[in-house]
Amino acid sequence: MPIKFRKTIDLEEGWEFLETGINKLKRILEGHPEPQFEPEEYMMMYTTVFNMANQKCPHDYSRELYEKYKETIQDYISSMVLPSLREKHGEFMLRELVNRWMNHKVMVKWLYKFFQYLERYFISRRDLPSLDEVALTCFRDMVYEELKGKAKDAVIALIDQEREGEVIDRALIKNVVDIYVEIGMGDMNYYVNDFENDMLSATAVYYSQKASNWIMEDSSSDYMLKAEDCLRNEKERVSHYLHSSSEAKLLEVCHSNICSKFK
Amino acid sequence: MKKEDTVKLISAEGFEFVIDKNAAMVSQTIRNMLTSPGDFAETERQEVRFPEISTTILEKICQYFYWSLQYASGKETEFHIEPELTLELMMAANYLHT
Repeated sequence: MPIKFRKTIDLEEGWEFLETGINKLKRILEGHPEPQFEPEEYMMMYTTVFNMANQKCPHDYSRELYEKYKETIQDYISSMVLPSLREKHGEFMLRELVNRWMNHKVMVKWLYKFFQYLERYFISRRDLPSLDEVALTCFRDMVYEELKGKAKDAVIALIDQEREGEVIDRALIKNVVDIYVEIGMGDMNYYVNDFENDMLSATAVYYSQKASNWIMEDSSSDYMLKAEDCLRNEKERVSHYLHSSSEAKLLEVCHSNICSKFK
Repeated sequence: MKKEDTVKLISAEGFEFVIDKNAAMVSQTIRNMLTSPGDFAETERQEVRFPEISTTILEKICQYFYWSLQYASGKETEFHIEPELTLELMMAANYLHT
Protein backbone atom coordinates (compact mmCIF):
# COMPACT_ATOMS: atom_id res chain seq x y z
CA MET A 1 0.00 0.00 0.00
CA PRO A 2 1.86 3.06 -1.20
CA ILE A 3 1.84 6.26 0.79
CA LYS A 4 -1.35 7.96 -0.18
CA PHE A 5 -0.98 11.58 -1.02
CA ARG A 6 -4.30 13.22 -0.69
CA LYS A 7 -6.17 14.35 -3.74
CA THR A 8 -4.03 16.49 -6.02
CA ILE A 9 -3.31 19.81 -4.44
CA ASP A 10 -4.37 22.64 -6.64
CA LEU A 11 -1.79 25.43 -7.07
CA GLU A 12 -4.05 28.17 -5.69
CA GLU A 13 -5.12 26.09 -2.74
CA GLY A 14 -1.66 24.91 -1.92
CA TRP A 15 -0.14 28.35 -2.18
CA GLU A 16 -2.89 29.82 0.00
CA PHE A 17 -1.94 27.38 2.69
CA LEU A 18 1.76 28.12 2.36
CA GLU A 19 0.97 31.80 2.57
CA THR A 20 -0.57 31.43 6.00
CA GLY A 21 2.76 30.08 7.19
CA ILE A 22 4.69 32.77 5.37
CA ASN A 23 2.50 35.50 6.80
CA LYS A 24 3.04 34.15 10.26
CA LEU A 25 6.76 34.28 9.63
CA LYS A 26 6.46 37.90 8.51
CA ARG A 27 4.54 38.82 11.65
CA ILE A 28 7.23 37.24 13.79
CA LEU A 29 9.93 39.13 11.89
CA GLU A 30 8.13 42.42 12.33
CA GLY A 31 8.09 41.82 16.07
CA HIS A 32 4.38 41.25 16.48
CA PRO A 33 3.32 39.05 19.36
CA GLU A 34 2.99 35.70 17.71
CA PRO A 35 3.35 32.18 19.07
CA GLN A 36 6.43 30.36 17.85
CA PHE A 37 6.31 27.85 15.03
CA GLU A 38 5.37 24.42 16.29
CA PRO A 39 7.10 21.40 14.75
CA GLU A 40 3.62 20.51 13.39
CA GLU A 41 3.35 23.74 11.46
CA TYR A 42 6.80 23.36 10.01
CA MET A 43 6.03 19.80 8.92
CA MET A 44 2.79 20.90 7.29
CA MET A 45 4.58 23.56 5.28
CA TYR A 46 7.36 21.20 4.26
CA THR A 47 4.84 18.47 3.42
CA THR A 48 2.77 20.79 1.28
CA VAL A 49 5.78 21.82 -0.76
CA PHE A 50 6.87 18.20 -0.94
CA ASN A 51 3.47 17.05 -2.17
CA MET A 52 3.06 19.84 -4.65
CA ALA A 53 6.47 19.13 -6.12
CA ASN A 54 5.79 15.42 -6.41
CA GLN A 55 2.49 15.46 -8.17
CA LYS A 56 2.22 14.15 -11.68
CA CYS A 57 2.22 16.52 -14.62
CA PRO A 58 0.55 18.92 -15.17
CA HIS A 59 0.27 19.34 -11.43
CA ASP A 60 3.97 19.32 -10.69
CA TYR A 61 4.26 22.79 -9.26
CA SER A 62 7.97 22.94 -8.55
CA ARG A 63 8.60 25.80 -10.93
CA GLU A 64 5.60 27.79 -9.72
CA LEU A 65 6.69 27.32 -6.12
CA TYR A 66 10.21 28.45 -6.95
CA GLU A 67 8.84 31.56 -8.67
CA LYS A 68 6.50 32.29 -5.83
CA TYR A 69 9.31 31.88 -3.31
CA LYS A 70 11.18 34.61 -5.11
CA GLU A 71 8.09 36.81 -5.38
CA THR A 72 7.42 36.43 -1.69
CA ILE A 73 10.83 37.80 -0.86
CA GLN A 74 10.60 40.63 -3.37
CA ASP A 75 7.19 41.52 -2.08
CA TYR A 76 8.31 41.58 1.53
CA ILE A 77 11.26 43.77 0.69
CA SER A 78 9.27 46.29 -1.31
CA SER A 79 6.36 46.53 1.08
CA MET A 80 8.08 46.34 4.46
CA VAL A 81 11.84 46.65 4.23
CA LEU A 82 12.42 49.51 1.79
CA PRO A 83 9.81 51.90 3.15
CA SER A 84 11.19 51.65 6.65
CA LEU A 85 14.73 52.24 5.40
CA ARG A 86 13.85 55.15 3.19
CA GLU A 87 12.44 57.19 6.02
CA LYS A 88 15.62 57.04 8.09
CA HIS A 89 18.99 58.72 7.80
CA GLY A 90 22.51 58.63 9.14
CA GLU A 91 23.15 56.39 12.11
CA PHE A 92 19.43 55.49 12.45
CA MET A 93 19.39 54.32 8.89
CA LEU A 94 22.47 52.19 9.53
CA ARG A 95 20.83 50.53 12.52
CA GLU A 96 17.71 49.83 10.55
CA LEU A 97 19.79 48.44 7.69
CA VAL A 98 21.61 46.07 10.01
CA ASN A 99 18.33 44.96 11.61
CA ARG A 100 16.74 44.37 8.25
CA TRP A 101 19.75 42.40 7.07
CA MET A 102 19.67 40.18 10.17
CA ASN A 103 15.93 39.77 9.71
CA HIS A 104 16.43 38.87 6.11
CA LYS A 105 18.81 36.11 7.05
CA VAL A 106 16.34 34.71 9.57
CA MET A 107 13.55 34.83 7.01
CA VAL A 108 15.70 33.01 4.49
CA LYS A 109 16.57 30.35 7.03
CA TRP A 110 12.90 29.65 7.76
CA LEU A 111 11.77 29.81 4.16
CA TYR A 112 14.52 27.33 3.43
CA LYS A 113 13.05 24.95 5.96
CA PHE A 114 9.74 25.11 4.13
CA PHE A 115 11.00 25.06 0.56
CA GLN A 116 14.11 22.93 0.86
CA TYR A 117 12.60 20.04 -1.03
CA LEU A 118 12.82 22.13 -4.18
CA GLU A 119 16.56 22.40 -3.67
CA ARG A 120 17.12 18.67 -3.76
CA TYR A 121 15.78 17.91 -7.18
CA PHE A 122 14.17 20.76 -9.09
CA ILE A 123 16.88 23.31 -8.44
CA SER A 124 19.89 21.06 -8.66
CA ARG A 125 18.71 19.29 -11.81
CA ARG A 126 18.18 22.51 -13.68
CA ASP A 127 21.24 24.17 -12.27
CA LEU A 128 19.18 27.09 -11.04
CA PRO A 129 20.31 29.54 -8.38
CA SER A 130 19.82 28.02 -4.94
CA LEU A 131 17.17 29.30 -2.56
CA ASP A 132 19.84 31.19 -0.63
CA GLU A 133 21.23 32.77 -3.77
CA VAL A 134 17.81 33.88 -4.92
CA ALA A 135 17.12 35.49 -1.57
CA LEU A 136 20.44 37.24 -1.35
CA THR A 137 20.16 38.51 -4.91
CA CYS A 138 16.77 40.00 -4.09
CA PHE A 139 18.17 41.82 -1.09
CA ARG A 140 21.18 42.94 -3.04
CA ASP A 141 19.32 44.23 -6.08
CA MET A 142 16.52 45.85 -4.17
CA VAL A 143 17.97 47.09 -0.90
CA TYR A 144 21.74 47.10 -1.11
CA GLU A 145 21.93 48.80 -4.51
CA GLU A 146 19.64 51.57 -3.37
CA LEU A 147 21.30 52.22 -0.04
CA LYS A 148 24.93 51.35 -0.51
CA GLY A 149 25.89 54.98 -1.22
CA LYS A 150 24.05 56.44 1.74
CA ALA A 151 25.35 53.74 4.04
CA LYS A 152 28.91 54.25 2.90
CA ASP A 153 28.66 57.98 3.47
CA ALA A 154 27.17 57.50 6.90
CA VAL A 155 29.91 55.07 7.91
CA ILE A 156 32.68 57.34 6.66
CA ALA A 157 31.14 60.22 8.59
CA LEU A 158 31.22 58.15 11.75
CA ILE A 159 34.80 57.07 11.15
CA ASP A 160 35.85 60.69 10.80
CA GLN A 161 34.05 61.47 14.03
CA GLU A 162 36.04 58.78 15.76
CA ARG A 163 39.23 60.20 14.34
CA GLU A 164 38.30 63.49 15.94
CA GLY A 165 38.11 61.74 19.27
CA GLU A 166 34.41 61.04 19.56
CA VAL A 167 33.09 57.73 20.77
CA ILE A 168 31.15 55.88 18.12
CA ASP A 169 29.29 52.59 17.98
CA ARG A 170 31.95 50.28 16.60
CA ALA A 171 29.77 47.20 16.62
CA LEU A 172 27.28 48.97 14.39
CA ILE A 173 29.98 49.87 11.88
CA LYS A 174 31.30 46.35 11.92
CA ASN A 175 27.86 45.01 11.17
CA VAL A 176 27.40 47.41 8.28
CA VAL A 177 30.82 46.60 6.85
CA ASP A 178 29.98 42.91 7.11
CA ILE A 179 27.00 43.50 4.83
CA TYR A 180 29.31 44.80 2.12
CA VAL A 181 31.40 41.68 2.52
CA GLU A 182 28.56 39.15 2.74
CA ILE A 183 26.55 40.62 -0.12
CA GLY A 184 29.24 39.47 -2.51
CA MET A 185 28.77 35.81 -1.62
CA GLY A 186 32.52 35.33 -1.67
CA ASP A 187 33.22 38.15 -4.09
CA MET A 188 34.98 41.07 -2.42
CA ASN A 189 34.35 43.50 -5.27
CA TYR A 190 31.25 44.92 -3.66
CA TYR A 191 33.19 45.75 -0.51
CA VAL A 192 36.04 47.21 -2.50
CA ASN A 193 34.06 49.21 -5.04
CA ASP A 194 31.11 50.28 -2.96
CA PHE A 195 32.88 50.98 0.28
CA GLU A 196 36.61 50.61 0.52
CA ASN A 197 37.61 52.89 -2.35
CA ASP A 198 35.68 55.84 -1.03
CA MET A 199 36.70 55.09 2.52
CA LEU A 200 40.34 55.23 1.42
CA SER A 201 39.81 58.49 -0.50
CA ALA A 202 38.12 60.05 2.49
CA THR A 203 41.00 58.91 4.66
CA ALA A 204 43.47 60.48 2.25
CA VAL A 205 41.59 63.77 2.34
CA TYR A 206 41.34 63.71 6.11
CA TYR A 207 45.01 63.09 6.75
CA SER A 208 46.17 65.36 3.99
CA GLN A 209 44.32 68.17 5.72
CA LYS A 210 45.64 67.22 9.13
CA ALA A 211 49.18 66.94 7.87
CA SER A 212 49.00 70.42 6.37
CA ASN A 213 47.93 71.80 9.72
CA TRP A 214 50.58 69.96 11.68
CA ILE A 215 53.34 71.03 9.37
CA MET A 216 52.52 74.60 10.21
CA GLU A 217 52.02 74.12 13.93
CA ASP A 218 54.29 71.37 15.15
CA SER A 219 57.94 70.71 15.60
CA SER A 220 59.33 67.83 13.62
CA SER A 221 59.45 65.49 16.58
CA ASP A 222 55.85 66.26 17.49
CA TYR A 223 54.88 65.66 13.92
CA MET A 224 56.57 62.28 13.93
CA LEU A 225 54.78 61.34 17.12
CA LYS A 226 51.44 62.31 15.66
CA ALA A 227 52.20 60.38 12.54
CA GLU A 228 52.99 57.29 14.57
CA ASP A 229 49.77 57.71 16.53
CA CYS A 230 47.75 57.90 13.38
CA LEU A 231 49.23 54.80 11.89
CA ARG A 232 48.60 52.92 15.09
CA ASN A 233 45.02 54.16 15.31
CA GLU A 234 44.26 53.22 11.76
CA LYS A 235 45.67 49.75 12.28
CA GLU A 236 43.41 49.33 15.29
CA ARG A 237 40.51 50.61 13.27
CA VAL A 238 40.91 47.74 10.85
CA SER A 239 40.83 45.22 13.66
CA HIS A 240 37.73 46.83 15.18
CA TYR A 241 35.49 47.06 12.21
CA LEU A 242 37.07 47.02 8.80
CA HIS A 243 37.84 43.99 6.70
CA SER A 244 41.37 42.72 7.19
CA SER A 245 42.12 43.11 3.50
CA SER A 246 41.92 46.87 3.97
CA GLU A 247 44.82 47.10 6.37
CA ALA A 248 47.66 47.33 3.90
CA LYS A 249 45.86 49.81 1.67
CA LEU A 250 44.75 51.96 4.56
CA LEU A 251 48.20 52.20 6.09
CA GLU A 252 49.63 52.98 2.68
CA VAL A 253 47.19 55.88 2.27
CA CYS A 254 48.06 57.25 5.69
CA HIS A 255 51.71 56.86 5.08
CA SER A 256 51.69 58.69 1.80
CA ASN A 257 49.50 61.50 3.05
CA ILE A 258 51.19 62.09 6.36
CA CYS A 259 54.77 61.18 5.79
CA SER A 260 55.10 62.55 2.30
CA LYS A 261 54.20 66.01 3.53
CA PHE A 262 57.13 65.88 5.76
CA LYS A 263 59.79 66.58 3.26
CA MET B 1 17.73 7.72 28.23
CA LYS B 2 17.33 11.24 29.44
CA LYS B 3 14.23 12.94 28.19
CA GLU B 4 16.18 15.81 26.67
CA ASP B 5 18.08 13.51 24.35
CA THR B 6 15.05 11.91 22.77
CA VAL B 7 12.40 12.78 20.26
CA LYS B 8 9.04 11.23 19.65
CA LEU B 9 8.02 10.25 16.14
CA ILE B 10 4.36 9.54 15.67
CA SER B 11 3.03 7.40 12.85
CA ALA B 12 -0.19 7.70 10.87
CA GLU B 13 -1.91 5.26 13.19
CA GLY B 14 -0.77 7.13 16.25
CA PHE B 15 2.05 4.84 17.32
CA GLU B 16 4.73 6.71 19.19
CA PHE B 17 8.39 5.88 18.70
CA VAL B 18 10.69 7.46 21.22
CA ILE B 19 14.21 7.49 19.85
CA ASP B 20 17.57 9.09 20.38
CA LYS B 21 17.84 12.60 19.04
CA ASN B 22 21.09 11.73 17.30
CA ALA B 23 19.36 8.88 15.52
CA ALA B 24 16.51 11.09 14.36
CA MET B 25 18.91 13.65 12.99
CA VAL B 26 20.01 11.16 10.34
CA SER B 27 16.99 12.62 8.60
CA GLN B 28 17.86 16.06 7.25
CA THR B 29 14.25 17.02 7.45
CA ILE B 30 13.98 16.17 11.12
CA ARG B 31 17.36 17.71 11.79
CA ASN B 32 16.25 21.00 10.27
CA MET B 33 13.20 20.99 12.37
CA LEU B 34 14.93 20.24 15.64
CA THR B 35 17.91 22.50 15.26
CA SER B 36 17.63 26.26 15.56
CA PRO B 37 14.11 26.58 16.72
CA GLY B 38 16.26 28.77 18.96
CA ASP B 39 15.48 31.65 16.67
CA PHE B 40 11.97 31.50 17.91
CA ALA B 41 12.64 30.06 21.37
CA GLU B 42 12.83 26.38 22.22
CA THR B 43 9.83 24.22 21.55
CA GLU B 44 8.96 22.24 24.60
CA ARG B 45 7.55 19.09 23.09
CA GLN B 46 10.09 17.38 20.93
CA GLU B 47 7.62 15.34 18.96
CA VAL B 48 6.74 15.10 15.30
CA ARG B 49 3.69 13.70 13.68
CA PHE B 50 3.86 11.92 10.34
CA PRO B 51 0.27 11.39 9.28
CA GLU B 52 1.42 9.95 5.97
CA ILE B 53 3.85 7.35 7.22
CA SER B 54 2.50 4.04 8.45
CA THR B 55 3.66 2.43 11.65
CA THR B 56 5.49 -0.41 9.90
CA ILE B 57 7.45 1.98 7.75
CA LEU B 58 8.21 4.37 10.57
CA GLU B 59 9.48 1.48 12.65
CA LYS B 60 11.77 0.41 9.83
CA ILE B 61 12.99 3.95 9.47
CA CYS B 62 13.85 4.18 13.15
CA GLN B 63 15.80 0.95 12.78
CA TYR B 64 17.56 2.48 9.81
CA PHE B 65 18.55 5.51 11.83
CA TYR B 66 20.27 3.36 14.41
CA TRP B 67 21.86 1.17 11.78
CA SER B 68 23.09 4.29 10.04
CA LEU B 69 24.76 5.57 13.18
CA GLN B 70 26.45 2.24 13.71
CA TYR B 71 27.62 2.00 10.13
CA ALA B 72 29.00 5.53 10.34
CA SER B 73 31.33 4.43 13.09
CA GLY B 74 32.76 1.73 10.88
CA LYS B 75 30.84 -1.46 11.57
CA GLU B 76 29.90 -3.09 8.31
CA THR B 77 26.59 -4.81 8.39
CA GLU B 78 23.69 -5.18 6.03
CA PHE B 79 20.44 -3.43 6.55
CA HIS B 80 17.74 -5.92 5.73
CA ILE B 81 14.61 -4.62 4.01
CA GLU B 82 11.59 -6.78 3.37
CA PRO B 83 10.83 -6.48 -0.38
CA GLU B 84 7.22 -5.47 0.07
CA LEU B 85 8.30 -2.47 2.11
CA THR B 86 10.81 -1.16 -0.39
CA LEU B 87 8.69 1.29 -2.32
CA GLU B 88 7.06 2.85 0.71
CA LEU B 89 10.35 2.96 2.49
CA MET B 90 12.03 4.77 -0.36
CA MET B 91 9.25 7.31 -0.57
CA ALA B 92 9.46 7.94 3.14
CA ALA B 93 13.23 8.24 2.92
CA ASN B 94 12.85 10.80 0.18
CA TYR B 95 10.40 12.75 2.30
CA LEU B 96 12.66 12.66 5.30
CA HIS B 97 15.80 13.32 3.28
CA THR B 98 17.59 10.33 4.70
